[in-house]
Amino acid sequence: MGITATYTEQELIRALKERDDQAYGYLYDNYSGALYSIILQIVQNTELASDVLQEVFINIWRKIESYDPSRGRLFTWMLNITRNASIDTLRSKSYQNSQKNQGLSENVNINSQVTQTNIDNIGLNKILAKLKPEHRVLIELAYFKGYTHEEIAQIEDIPLGTVKTRIRNALLQLKEYMQ
Amino acid sequence: MNVQEYILSGVVESYVLGLSGAEERAEFERMCAAHSEVRAARDAFEQLLEKQLLSQSVAPPGNLKSKIFADIEIANDKMQGKKVVSMRESPALRTGWLRYLAAASVILLIGSTVLNFYFFSQYKIYISKYTDLLASQSQMASVNQSLQTKLQDYEAMLNMMKDTSMAIVSMPATPDAPVVGSRTTVYWNTSTKDVYLLVNNLPKPVPDKQYQLWAIVDGKPVDAGIFEIKDGISLMKMKNIPQAQAFAITLEPKGGSASPTMPIYVFGKVTG
Repeated sequence: MGITATYTEQELIRALKERDDQAYGYLYDNYSGALYSIILQIVQNTELASDVLQEVFINIWRKIESYDPSRGRLFTWMLNITRNASIDTLRSKSYQNSQKNQGLSENVNINSQVTQTNIDNIGLNKILAKLKPEHRVLIELAYFKGYTHEEIAQIEDIPLGTVKTRIRNALLQLKEYMQ
Repeated sequence: MNVQEYILSGVVESYVLGLSGAEERAEFERMCAAHSEVRAARDAFEQLLEKQLLSQSVAPPGNLKSKIFADIEIANDKMQGKKVVSMRESPALRTGWLRYLAAASVILLIGSTVLNFYFFSQYKIYISKYTDLLASQSQMASVNQSLQTKLQDYEAMLNMMKDTSMAIVSMPATPDAPVVGSRTTVYWNTSTKDVYLLVNNLPKPVPDKQYQLWAIVDGKPVDAGIFEIKDGISLMKMKNIPQAQAFAITLEPKGGSASPTMPIYVFGKVTG
């Protein structure tokens, strides 16, 4: 391995805004795995996940000017871009089509079951598994499916206030498990 | 709700994970700006989340990095290209301008064609008018010429009459005249001896007859020439007569006679 540049958050942001190739290389090497795991959890398809990751990095490159450090860390900003792109893909036509194909192949292909298992062990899923089922389902609907609180209240047939309270409690629980 | 309760309500996690509604987000940002504890709580959860997710990384496909960076390079070229393009905008602008110019020239061409047809038809009208004018002009010129000739004749006549050496011989009708009031006048230049005849009033003769003027010299008629009756006033030059006491006109067979064979119609003596 050659010389690996290390950056403080501020240095990295400045270099990214100057569209420094080395900084983007660093960003990819250090963060693509974390972002890719979130994408996989949302779209649950490796091919689509690659497309989304590509889209995410191009979006980071394009939108870096609009990143405002006072609103949060760079990783949080990238994570939100990633989640939004993944949910958009989830709702897109190409995803619907790929799901149909997968549905067909699943009947004959055991490997897809393996993929499913792998996804269960990555990212937030590992700690999500520790949540109470009524908390877990809300986090999945809100964070991984991108439903609004109102939509979740309808889907789960529970009052909006309850949805809000449960999600907040679930998040606090999640934070506990992270520590 | 105090700041501590606010921090522990789950709103921090909700905001960071992007699960807050617009209202909640705006409120959280206000709280962050106002309270460093809220900011610190946000930062702490962000770092925790980052650490958690980094530890759960899944390596993306190996070829993806070069693919993404190829795309970024293309985008980068495009972005740098933007400046170049913006500098090259003038030809594009010029092309746009040319398009308007082309449209304008087509409109002008159509307009010009229409005008051409209009002018051509006008031209044809004026050509025919011009031809008519030329014809009438040449007609007028010829009329003018004939008038000029007439005028010159009259002028000449008048000059002759004015001549002081001109003897005027008035020749009234004789009892033999065919028409009462028949009359001619002879203008006889006493110095040049030229004789001019003015027919004041004489009927037109039958086709096989002609009037003949006679000068009476010492009681004998001398031929002074035959003449036709013409329309209009005209002074006819007759034969030169050196000497005469009177003039007379008879109607003779065509071609005239050596001496009068017919009665005298009009007669006048030379006076003074």
